[in-house]
Amino acid sequence: MPSHDVLALPTALNYPPIVSLDRRSQPFYPFNSPFHLRKGGRNQKVSILKAGFWESIRSGILKNNTAQVVEPPSPVEEVEELLPEEFVLVERTRPDGTVEQIIFSSGGNVDVYDLEALCDKVGWPRRPLSKLAAALRNSYIVATLHSVSKSSGEEVNGQKKLIGMARATSDHAFNATIWDVLVDPSYQGQGLGKVLIEKLIRTLLQRDIGNISLFADSKVVEFYQNLGFEPDPEGIKGMFWYPK
Amino acid sequence: TPLPLKKPTHRRSAAVSAAASFSISEESLSSRGFTFHRTVENLNLDHLNSVFAAVGFPRRDPEKIRIALEHTDALLWVESSKTSRPVAFARATGDGVFNAIIWDVVVDPNYQGIGLGKAVMERLVTQLLEKGINNIALYSEPRVLGFYRPLGFVSDPDGIRGMVYSRKQKKKK
Repeated sequence: MPSHDVLALPTALNYPPIVSLDRRSQPFYPFNSPFHLRKGGRNQKVSILKAGFWESIRSGILKNNTAQVVEPPSPVEEVEELLPEEFVLVERTRPDGTVEQIIFSSGGNVDVYDLEALCDKVGWPRRPLSKLAAALRNSYIVATLHSVSKSSGEEVNGQKKLIGMARATSDHAFNATIWDVLVDPSYQGQGLGKVLIEKLIRTLLQRDIGNISLFADSKVVEFYQNLGFEPDPEGIKGMFWYPK
Repeated sequence: TPLPLKKPTHRRSAAVSAAASFSISEESLSSRGFTFHRTVENLNLDHLNSVFAAVGFPRRDPEKIRIALEHTDALLWVESSKTSRPVAFARATGDGVFNAIIWDVVVDPNYQGIGLGKAVMERLVTQLLEKGINNIALYSEPRVLGFYRPLGFVSDPDGIRGMVYSRKQKKKK
């Protein structure tokens, strides 16, 4: 798999503080499907993203001599290499010299306590941890965004923080439904939610799941439309049994 | 006519009272030669595929159907003792704790109109409620909205919209 230079954002970017969460439990490893994607190597920073997406990430960013922007090779529409299970989306250097990487993973390595804390941050009502763990375990794909910080020069990964998640349930053959999409409020507005869903969709399509659906609050219908989702296609309506 | 399944204050007790208020009892159906099944055991997938085709679904690879059924949270089908073939079917996928989506609700056209679809749906919903799943959803073609509404399903509650990914649809802003 070819390696590409990763977009490095300049230090002028307004940077949110990093808060580390204590890891109170072992990372949670949900049900692994038999379909195993080749893991990206640690030194491989592969971002297989289309130029149009990078434009949206870069908008409003000042360029200075610390910025390295490398366009991915001319994007071929749907002919693609297999998406690695885990790869670096963004790498940027903070004013204090530490480096932050945002890492996407579809491997579902989610610490359920970290997830609970993230759900708290976005204001979702609490759910029993055992049920949360079971829901993750029973999901076909759990996609995550983690922020990893390290001092420049170190190769060892430092603090790892969960900053986004989306999961999909599926019958492994025809249909998948996306649930629980969330991004840490401190990291919102940077296009990370879009990437999360784009990569999740890509992973599902590469596993040959033809029907990808979700239910969207009215406020986020447009967000998903921009990602390729159509509301009420052919008049088909989402219905719920005695919703609260 | 019997009361439809009603929303209770507690969903688990709903399941118990629901069983008492199914629109057609299992006895009534079996006396007419229909038996309920809740597993894929004895379900002939080619016969099921024929029912799908008869109601207008695209014919699907039986091997994929088998995989789909293996990864299905709950399913129900009705067998006609006369033909030993499935005549009604529905299944639900989900995460087993919070959410379930009901798919592939079908009744063989030769057996429609006698309450089999309703019977299957009532029992499937009850099964999901008994598992503690509170969020039960489905995608309904416009012409069968009237079938699901009396069963307790509401479309676009609070403005929530069902959305489906379309590769042709993607807009880039």
